[in-house]
Amino acid sequence: MTRYAMTIDLRRCVGCQTCTAACKNANATPPGVQWRRVLDLETGEFPDVRRSFVPVACMHCDEPPCEEVCPTKATTKRADGLVAIDYDTCIGCANCVMACPYEARSIVHEAKFAYGDKPIKSEEVRFDSARIGVSMKCTFCIDRIDLAAKTGQVPGRDWEVTPACVNSCISGAMAFGDLDDPDSKVSRLIAENKTFRMHEELGTGPGVYYIWDKG
Amino acid sequence: MPTTTSPQSVRKVPTYCYNCVAGPDFMNVKVVDGVATEIEPNFAAEDIHPARGRVCVKAYGLVQKTYNPHRVLQPMKRTNPKKGRNEDPGFVPISWDEALDLVTTKLTAVREKGLVDDSGLPRVAATFGHGGTPGMYMGSLPAFLAAWGPIDYSFGSGQGVKCVHSEHLYGEFWHRGFTVAADTPLARYVISIGSNVEASGGPCAVTRHAEARVRGYKRVQVEPHLSVTGACSAEWVPIRPKTDPAFMFALIHVLVCEQGLDKLDVAFLRDRTSSPYLVGPDGLYLRDPVSRKPLVWDEAGGRAVAFDTPDVVPAVAGSFPVCGAISIDADDVCQDLGAVEGKTAYAMLVEHMRKYSPEWAASICDVPAATIRRIANEYLENASIGETIEIDGRTLPLRPVAVTLGKSVNNGWGAFECCWARTLLATLVGALENPGGTLGTTVRLNRPHDNRLLSVKAGEDGFMAQYFNPTDKEHWVAKPTGRNIHRTLVPIVGNTAWSQALGPTQLAWMFQREVPEDWNMPMPTMPDVWFIYRTNPAISFWDTRTLVEEIAKFPFTVSFAYTLDETNWMADLLLPEATDLESLQMIKVGGTKFVEQFWEHRGVVLRQPAVEPQGDTRDFTWISTQLAKRTGLLEAYNNALNRGAGGGAPLKAEGYDYSLDTGKEHGVEEIWDAVCRASSASLSEGREVHDLEWFKEHGFYTVPMSKVEWYLSPALEQQGLRYEMPYQERLLRIGRELGNRLHEHQMHWWDEQLSEYAALPEWHDVPGRWTQQIRNAGGKPEDFPLWLLATKSMQYHTGGNASIALMREVAQNVRGHTGVIMNAKTAKSLGISDGDRVEIRSHIGATYGDAVLAQGVRPDTLVILGQFDHWATPLAKDFGMPSLNTIAPMSMELTDATGSGSDIVRVAVRKVEREEAAQ
Repeated sequence: MTRYAMTIDLRRCVGCQTCTAACKNANATPPGVQWRRVLDLETGEFPDVRRSFVPVACMHCDEPPCEEVCPTKATTKRADGLVAIDYDTCIGCANCVMACPYEARSIVHEAKFAYGDKPIKSEEVRFDSARIGVSMKCTFCIDRIDLAAKTGQVPGRDWEVTPACVNSCISGAMAFGDLDDPDSKVSRLIAENKTFRMHEELGTGPGVYYIWDKG
Repeated sequence: MPTTTSPQSVRKVPTYCYNCVAGPDFMNVKVVDGVATEIEPNFAAEDIHPARGRVCVKAYGLVQKTYNPHRVLQPMKRTNPKKGRNEDPGFVPISWDEALDLVTTKLTAVREKGLVDDSGLPRVAATFGHGGTPGMYMGSLPAFLAAWGPIDYSFGSGQGVKCVHSEHLYGEFWHRGFTVAADTPLARYVISIGSNVEASGGPCAVTRHAEARVRGYKRVQVEPHLSVTGACSAEWVPIRPKTDPAFMFALIHVLVCEQGLDKLDVAFLRDRTSSPYLVGPDGLYLRDPVSRKPLVWDEAGGRAVAFDTPDVVPAVAGSFPVCGAISIDADDVCQDLGAVEGKTAYAMLVEHMRKYSPEWAASICDVPAATIRRIANEYLENASIGETIEIDGRTLPLRPVAVTLGKSVNNGWGAFECCWARTLLATLVGALENPGGTLGTTVRLNRPHDNRLLSVKAGEDGFMAQYFNPTDKEHWVAKPTGRNIHRTLVPIVGNTAWSQALGPTQLAWMFQREVPEDWNMPMPTMPDVWFIYRTNPAISFWDTRTLVEEIAKFPFTVSFAYTLDETNWMADLLLPEATDLESLQMIKVGGTKFVEQFWEHRGVVLRQPAVEPQGDTRDFTWISTQLAKRTGLLEAYNNALNRGAGGGAPLKAEGYDYSLDTGKEHGVEEIWDAVCRASSASLSEGREVHDLEWFKEHGFYTVPMSKVEWYLSPALEQQGLRYEMPYQERLLRIGRELGNRLHEHQMHWWDEQLSEYAALPEWHDVPGRWTQQIRNAGGKPEDFPLWLLATKSMQYHTGGNASIALMREVAQNVRGHTGVIMNAKTAKSLGISDGDRVEIRSHIGATYGDAVLAQGVRPDTLVILGQFDHWATPLAKDFGMPSLNTIAPMSMELTDATGSGSDIVRVAVRKVEREEAAQ
């Protein structure tokens, strides 16, 4: 079996938003829609203050709350661990948007472009009307994962089939791979470090593991 | 793929990003059916590029940069002869022929009148943006500039106040470090004082520090607010603004007065520094009366001898009786001293630092003495004196501790003291330019730029050769050759290609308006023609509202333009260049370079057109060739290209000859093909020659380089040279000489700056200079109770990308990109809530933004990210962001001896209604 997952090393992340921008590049998301972003959080009171950077996106849960509430079965949990959306089936009811505890989903009801009403060239060639009025979120760059199935390449090892955010990360905070492969980078990182998953208490079984301290 | 139709062609085009000084970094442009759609890392460079082929967030904006609908896409000329912020320039489109005729007419007139005017100042001036980055996009323009003759680069766009100016000057002087970095891959303990390397260090620095954090190094961040770098550090020390010298003096006190010499790197101090040089009662070195060499105390012989006497073992500490020595003061005034006591420079240091205890510094810095003492002792402990490491077969000292400084710590008053203290802290433990320690990166005032080790030559007194501007009576430049007077006022900046742009650039602007009363030099003039490229001083310098008025007076301004902006609003001609993804150029990569670009390779990388230029924009090399041809300079231009002015390598050298026929006009590809061949031949010593087509496919070519080349100390050791630390006898003499020259010409307006020339820096009330300046300007300091600082944003840092919508969107995820950061408790006391519109007022004006409340900032400090407050740049003019630059004064009182100023201002803040702010 395969269970694709991501690790994010919070010791490395500098909150630069390179992954945010790379995701927008790779997935041609409209202005204001960020399938992933890095939170800039502060705790404590002056002068005892900590500031932390926490990348967030769809957690590709084992038990996705979004799937459960989807009336059309547009959202599905794939066998390889990805939570996918079929835009042809989605009716944009927003149940999933409300259900997701990670605020990972969004719906755009009309076309939006970076500079006003008209798309610039790069937006024009990539505009996809199928994404208007439907739920959207991080796909783990699903097209790359599907390509790997055809080429025999390994996501997380071969960059052509690795999510754009992971490829882009300048601090090396992110890794991607198959949890069911004990030799994958994510399996090794999880084994060797202390990790947590966001809102694990909800029983969603998130597929994103945060490394936060030396194990 | 999210595209609706299947593409006919998909290409990945290798190229580079050099939008900030922390570059270059490698990337690929994905091109779908001729349209650039994505930026990706270039994994082909993973093993040679320190950031593993990755680029930072800014590069991902380059697709939008290409297709930005606000671009200037054809040459434009001004039709409104009146210039000013409220005057619509009335730009109308014209052909390239007409545009080039216009500029050629002006340039030809200049050549006919003479390249310099009656004041001795160049009639043509040019201003380029941050840290040499425009050079990475201007194709062969450097060859045209070289062919032209004298050009005034005096008018700064922010250098001196936005860069690490004192570090540039003193860093090169002391250890060939134009910028200075930690040897992060080996460092165990780093004291980072205001250095925001996680925001401005680019992918290479971010990669290195992330690895170091996981490895377990400790970084202590000392700064008034909790920056991105502070967030990624083990400890934050919220120091009071501009008191950093006191903090660092106290660290030194702990090392030399509490721990003592035997805990320090005695061998390094004895053999590689001037610590043993004997200082006489007049504060000058005791010298041998015949050879005039500084004396040291020979412990074995029990007598004073010249420092370079064979087999001498000099005493590092102590005072000794010396007979018959001389001292040499300013203007070569020689004194026979008779029988005197000579103290070693190290002993002078210890005596000097005794008063600067942590307890003394605590109240100045608002940092507990125990914290300062602990940090000093942790630093010393981690220095691991005695430890060694083997690198490429060489056994070198391993001293894994470093001190790094940020903007506003190392420019303006207090910066000399901080740079000195930083260099000294490294010196005391042998960490200066040794593995793990504090390293210089590159040279710009010295040569050659791509290998700082080769700039190490023997100079006077056992030190490296220095190339200062002369201060002796015969050679001092009494008549300025540029409008910022760098050769006249700043000896240490020298007079090489980068020197002028690193002069006191705010003086060039200030003196356009008014000169000091006792100004006894030719009056500054305006340039006949001013070229600007990738620069917007009307936003990026200080007192920008006044600056705009000065810019508006310039008679003929040519802007190589991307969009309209606040500076080219005053231009007469806009020449649109093909930008990052549309044009051709080759640059050098590798070696050691700005910020934290430490490579194990050196080579070249190509920037190539991934897509066709938009509109009627033209490749910069084509523009440059046309300028050269039309001004009759084609032969000189081609000669400059043959010498290597285009970048890469000289086109002719031993073993190869790809030089261009100097009598002909050459096409863009022809020029860069020659550079490609010459560069690959030069790098491979003739083993491999690659043409332009090869580079278009492969992107870059590199050869290995030893890591030993990261460190300067082995190069000094090889030549038996010493660092000019800790005692600044040479600077003391030069400052006196400079004072003599200025006073001989009845000029006293630089006297306060002369006080900076000291053998051992004293604490002076650095923050108090700001309150005094308010008083001098007729204001009341109590009306401006807070400090306002500016800090860097990775998303915008030097990118010229304020009009890129993607950057605006993603930057807002990072604190401070929506307004001014202020302490939540302070805000509450002023009735200000998060998101309220506030006025931030200094004694020269006000700027407006939204309050961003935080705990991670001192109660007495406000912080603004980047530099905004645009009023002409599309998109950015609607941000509603405040800017320190709008309200920071340019003032002689706040200018230090290097000519720089600190990016800080005293302010008051109050809540205002949005309508009031809008007015």
